[in-house]
Amino acid sequence: MSAATEYDHLVRSEYEHGFVTEIESDTLPPGLDEQVVAAISKRKGEPDWMTDWRLSAYGKWLNMPTPEWAAVQHAPIDFQDISYYSAPKKKEGPKSLDEVDPVLLETYQKLGIPIEEQMALAGIAVDAVFDSVSVATTFRDKLAEAGVIFCSISEAIKDYPELVRKHLGTVVPPTDNFYAGLNSAVFTDGTFVYVPKHTRCPMELSTYFRINTAKTGQFERTLIIADEGSYVSYLEGCTAPQRDDNQLHAAVVELIALEGAEIKYSTVQNWYPGDANGKGGIYNFVTKRGDCRGARSKISWTQVETGSAITWKYPSCILRGDDSVGEFYSVAVTKGRQQADTGTKMIHLGRNTRSTIVSKGISAQHGQQSYRGLVRIAGKAEGARNHTQCDSLLIGDTCAAHTFPYIEVKNPSAKMEHEATTSKISEDQLFYCRSRGLSEEDAVSMIVNGFCKEVFNELPMEFAVEAQKLLSISLEGAVG
Amino acid sequence: MSAAALTTRPPDPALLAWLGQAGEPPTSADEPAWLAELRHDAAARAPDQGMPTQKSEGWRYTGLSALIEQGFKPQQKPISALQSEDLDKALIDGLETYRLVMVNGQFEPRLSQLDGLPTGVHIGGLAELIAQDPDRLAGQLGQIAGAGQHLFTSLNTANFADGLVMLLDEQVQLDRPVELLHLSIGLDEPSVAQPRHLVVLAAGAQAELIERYLSFDQAPYCNNAVVEIRLAERAQLHHYRLQQESPSAYHLSGLYLEQAAASRYRGINIGLGATWSRTDLVTRFLAEQADCGLQGLYLAGDRQLIDYHMDVQHQVPHCSSRENFKGILHGKGRAVFDGRVYVARDAQHTDAAMSNRNLILSPNAEVDTKPQLEIYADDVKCSHGTTVGQLEPEMLFYLRSRGISAPLAQRMLCLGFAGEIIDALGPEPLREQVTEAVGQRLEQSPL
Repeated sequence: MSAATEYDHLVRSEYEHGFVTEIESDTLPPGLDEQVVAAISKRKGEPDWMTDWRLSAYGKWLNMPTPEWAAVQHAPIDFQDISYYSAPKKKEGPKSLDEVDPVLLETYQKLGIPIEEQMALAGIAVDAVFDSVSVATTFRDKLAEAGVIFCSISEAIKDYPELVRKHLGTVVPPTDNFYAGLNSAVFTDGTFVYVPKHTRCPMELSTYFRINTAKTGQFERTLIIADEGSYVSYLEGCTAPQRDDNQLHAAVVELIALEGAEIKYSTVQNWYPGDANGKGGIYNFVTKRGDCRGARSKISWTQVETGSAITWKYPSCILRGDDSVGEFYSVAVTKGRQQADTGTKMIHLGRNTRSTIVSKGISAQHGQQSYRGLVRIAGKAEGARNHTQCDSLLIGDTCAAHTFPYIEVKNPSAKMEHEATTSKISEDQLFYCRSRGLSEEDAVSMIVNGFCKEVFNELPMEFAVEAQKLLSISLEGAVG
Repeated sequence: MSAAALTTRPPDPALLAWLGQAGEPPTSADEPAWLAELRHDAAARAPDQGMPTQKSEGWRYTGLSALIEQGFKPQQKPISALQSEDLDKALIDGLETYRLVMVNGQFEPRLSQLDGLPTGVHIGGLAELIAQDPDRLAGQLGQIAGAGQHLFTSLNTANFADGLVMLLDEQVQLDRPVELLHLSIGLDEPSVAQPRHLVVLAAGAQAELIERYLSFDQAPYCNNAVVEIRLAERAQLHHYRLQQESPSAYHLSGLYLEQAAASRYRGINIGLGATWSRTDLVTRFLAEQADCGLQGLYLAGDRQLIDYHMDVQHQVPHCSSRENFKGILHGKGRAVFDGRVYVARDAQHTDAAMSNRNLILSPNAEVDTKPQLEIYADDVKCSHGTTVGQLEPEMLFYLRSRGISAPLAQRMLCLGFAGEIIDALGPEPLREQVTEAVGQRLEQSPL
């Protein structure tokens, strides 16, 4: 189309959240060995069992190969060139927002997430992670009233060692994969949530992650435990400052749902994707897995992925309990030189387990995107049911979209369906909208939003609005 | 994917031995230079390709240990014991064909029936043609398959002894289907046959080809067949492939297809036999408006593994492909379906659809399916769909309520499920034979 160049300049709009906060960081020098692992543990004042756990993970990690099967390309990562610990300097842990470094608060305001306002208006408890240490934790008291523990994982290791020790690494063991192994050795902080039996968490829990300090890999560790009959909804949102060096992010998220419990985990990921030539940008190599341990438990993943230079992420569900339910709803956008290899795994082990996968991929400019998913129905998973739908939308003739589904069925009573389509926005749809007086851009935005509606519907209200806005900004004019 | 290359190990000497790889390729003095070179290149390539392991992406569900343990040896002498009366039970009643019979991988003119071929058609044995006219196939044979998908194609190229050559001149239409009948007889020493076939249709030619694999006894043996097909502009080929080997047979086959502008290929693959079988279907479009249809039906029962791999490459615009495979798994049967549709950057207006549907009838059966789309062009219509399920209890109940016994009801529903593929077989006697074979299998096997 003739308007292609016009669109091109629109789509090259600068990354909105690209700025760096000048704040003094307490950073370890780059490099990784046993001493560094021990130093991280010591600096965080961890008990001995935690230090041992990290060291054993490190030992195993040394013997693991880097994964090469994903359909992404990047220069080899020098793991000795990364600083594994960076904490904002502070005299003492802040007890309230007043004690938080005002520069930090300003950063959040620039991002459009004023903590005070959100506390007051949205009623969301925000556990803001600035680089690797939790800076402000809000609404803790209100949650404590309900018996919900919502704190940083380092605090949890100190305050609730039995809970952490019992569950940490049981869903994603340190030997699971290369990046999970690395994370287990060096994770600096993250979130811990425990919802007691028969409790409905009184509010949506939310963490905003930010990566600061160039060359600092961020290794987050999240552990959410929903005890019998409980419910929790967790929101994760990310932005990162614009920097030239590739930053590695290898997070691990573990969810545990016991009998009758439900966990809803939503992500909006908008890290710096690199410039138009693919320089800079975040490498997002994440292991996310939920374990539906008890009968009738449910884990639901919803993600909107618009950022990062490379995304490598497969939020998965192990459906162990009978009648448990796993869900995965995903919208992923790749443009510029972004690459995404994402999908899910649904492992059906229990009877009458059900899973739903809805994956929507949008690829523009030189974006590369793959859906990679596994549905495994084990021999004992009587009556298991899966429905998978993955649709790809291609915008422009230099992008790519791939689908690699793996389906393994060992039970005759299983019902499993998979469908996938790949297409571009139809000329007819566009023409119709244009003839009704919509600009091409609005028309595309409408069509794309419609394409993703099934996923947005699953997002909590607060996120759905943000996600739609994000999608429109991401794709502004990328269509021809 | 590069993963395959990374995870292969050097070929197992034992395996190479039985495939005739350890010594010199069977180049005889009277073979033309181009063929000797072809064999030499393939033999040189084999160690690099390496023996696939289950860590190789294309073999993750298909273990090779059973095949390797058999210790198959290359076959030395042609078999001559077979009489024309023996052939009768292999023939399909009412099916009039030009027939070329291969016994343990060797063309058997005595049993073949090639009389009355119209002008402009050459159908005959490969070794025979090379002996008569050494350079006729230069630049054709081995060019379509190239390095192939894996080691086994190279081993075939290095070692094949005989096969079918079918050449049709421009605009020629065959009045009858061509039947390529593979008969295998177990020998004292388990052996491997490596037939090699070449089918070339010139512009506007049309033909039907029936490719059948049958066993004469229950002794173990292995077939490692490679078929190369080239369709010129507007050529049309209907290709029916029936694998009905004995439950102790091992079957490997690779089909390499190349299609020029506006050509049309319809392939129907029926996989019923062998204890272990692996089929690779590879198709490539050379110019616009070409159309490829691949359909298949597989039935895997006790201790059977049936594996279909497909690689459909859309390198040019305006081509269409359809893949539709259906499977029925019973007993301890296992099936693997791995289909890949690749659409290159320039292949705009590609229309590709892939479907794989499976019925699992027993708690011990397993299916692993992997329909993949790899798309680099934007103006395309591509889709794939997969289902795995069992027979609807409501349907069974309905039939039972009409006084039909449970096994019969199940059989009827399975045949209905399979019917979509069977009906696509052109010649009626062939359809009947396959329907009967499927029905028999379902009747005999504990569901």
